[in-house]
Amino acid sequence: MKLSHILSILAGVGLLVGVTAFVNVEVKAAEKRLTAPKKADAPVAATADHTEAPYCTPQFKSVLQRVVNACGLVGEESRRGCQPVDVKQFATISDEDFNALFAPLEQRGAIILFDDGADKLDEGAKKLIMEKWEDRRLARYFFIVSRASKTGAAGMNKALSHKRANSVNFWLQDQSKDPDLDKKVGMLWLGEEFAQLPKDYCDKWTNSRPGKPCNADGINRSAFISWVDCRL
Amino acid sequence: MSSRSRLPGVLGVIAATMGLFFSAFSTHDYALHLDRQLHATNCSFVPGIAGPEAGDNACKAAMYSSYSAIFRDKYWGGVPISLFAMGAYAFFLAMAVYLLTAGNAASKRSWQTYGLASLTPAVASAVMFTISVTKLGQFCKLCVGLYVASGILAASGVWALVAAGGKRVGAGASATDTIPDVGPPVPAGYPLHAYAMPEPARSPLGPGSVIPTGSWLVPLALFPALGAFAVAPSLVYARSMPDYRPLLLSCGKILDPNEKTGALVKLKTRSPVQPALTFEDPLCPTCRAFHKRLQTEEIFDRLDLTVAIFPLDSECNPMLDRPFHPGSCQLAKAFLCGDKAGNAREILDWSYENQEELRDAGKAGKEILRAKIRAKFPEVDACIDDKETKKRLDRVLQFAVANKVPISTPQMFLGETRLCEEDTDLGLRYVVGQLAPQVFQP
Repeated sequence: MKLSHILSILAGVGLLVGVTAFVNVEVKAAEKRLTAPKKADAPVAATADHTEAPYCTPQFKSVLQRVVNACGLVGEESRRGCQPVDVKQFATISDEDFNALFAPLEQRGAIILFDDGADKLDEGAKKLIMEKWEDRRLARYFFIVSRASKTGAAGMNKALSHKRANSVNFWLQDQSKDPDLDKKVGMLWLGEEFAQLPKDYCDKWTNSRPGKPCNADGINRSAFISWVDCRL
Repeated sequence: MSSRSRLPGVLGVIAATMGLFFSAFSTHDYALHLDRQLHATNCSFVPGIAGPEAGDNACKAAMYSSYSAIFRDKYWGGVPISLFAMGAYAFFLAMAVYLLTAGNAASKRSWQTYGLASLTPAVASAVMFTISVTKLGQFCKLCVGLYVASGILAASGVWALVAAGGKRVGAGASATDTIPDVGPPVPAGYPLHAYAMPEPARSPLGPGSVIPTGSWLVPLALFPALGAFAVAPSLVYARSMPDYRPLLLSCGKILDPNEKTGALVKLKTRSPVQPALTFEDPLCPTCRAFHKRLQTEEIFDRLDLTVAIFPLDSECNPMLDRPFHPGSCQLAKAFLCGDKAGNAREILDWSYENQEELRDAGKAGKEILRAKIRAKFPEVDACIDDKETKKRLDRVLQFAVANKVPISTPQMFLGETRLCEEDTDLGLRYVVGQLAPQVFQP
């Protein structure tokens, strides 16, 4: 065999071995990185979640957490609503501060007004409830916080407050047909032991009877409703 | 010029070395991505010196295209065609070395075989060049390097073909050819006696040099050898590849694929066989590339496709604190309106096809983008501002929240299985083939 043959065969074999070794090394290196990736190589994207608004202060969240836990918004419990006594127990802040917690919801929520001694929704109330309900965006919880004025017996007002919360809830059930409603809506019916809303709530909050007289008694014959943009 | 110049061999060595060089970088970049991560790629006429480039470039576009590899449904990312080039150029380098070292001793058949074989990379380059022009619309510099290498190799091959033979003389010339000593031809009519015999011109091989014709076995051996060289790196590559199957199901499933309010959009496709759900942003470049890839890989029309439009724009998406793609909310609403008008797919396709222009318009101002949408799709203009459209988009976003999907686009679920983001480019065809083989069945 001539030298040129030997040289070219050696070159060919050498090149082939070199090329295949190169390929093998490259693939095996990739396999190594694949099976043991560096942490920096695997950035984790945030997960789509409910919104978290600035008003979700720790105090607000502690109230929210209790309502969520106690009122059947988590887990499989079917309990609906909280007794006022529950709220009194967990709200270890002053009545004014308790009301103030919900003040930031004024841009988000609305106040549903009722007639004296009544729990029936009028047309304006029904429309406003659905408007607010549909304006969910990415909020997780919908709150109904009902009240009764101090006119009359405490027991009757407590029952009335409860009925007003239910009226809103039943209307939502009827209209939204949302099978997961129970996991979204939290209700609080507050008795007269809680601070009454001051009259300026008539002006600051959207209410279901715009253009009609609103006074300190009237604003407390109410249920305020709002989506709550907090995560727990 | 001499018919037995060493230049074809020299050119062959240069071309084959160039080819090896560029195809090795191309292979390196491709294999780098086998770890399913994003990497910078070499895209230079002097790779290794210029350094790899992060971000998009023509070489990355070529690599991610469906033309860069074969057997993509059998192997994750397929088998890159640069491997065949590497093997082939290794063969040509060895052949060129032979031509150089053998000189006159190289047979006519071996020169001819080299000449013919050296045209094959040029044919492959011509095909890839055509694809670059007609399909990709851009040229990757590594590919251009390979085109040039194949051109030089072809030139050396043609030269070798021309120079391969000499005039056959004498008995027993069946096995050998002899280059005769010849002088210049005597002009017609010129008196022979007056034509002084000049000093005989010398063959470059020397008077009476013998060129062996060689056996027909030469091409019969060398062409298969070329095939073996070309295929060997691919075989090694395919055999060395990691097993990706355990990774395919590692990205979870959708929690609840049923959106009860009808907020998602079902796109019409030609022959749907596989339910799929995508989260897409009309102004997201990766979504555009993904959408295009689904189409070029012939997957798109086999999907029973539902789209959850997912604009990464804080104007309508409260999950974000700033607009990643300003204007995508408007396009998302136009898309939802298109569902009612029956042209949702057309709007999405248009958004992707004109994405750069629309992105600029979105950055320039809402009204500028809106005017473009209005000019193209006047029928959805009023619907974009409709309260119901906003609510529908909110419900799409709520669907994303309910399913806890990453805030990232594109995302695809084949049935309930989430395709890992890492598998939505090079590995797409393989993953779809594994998770939904019916997509590729006739």
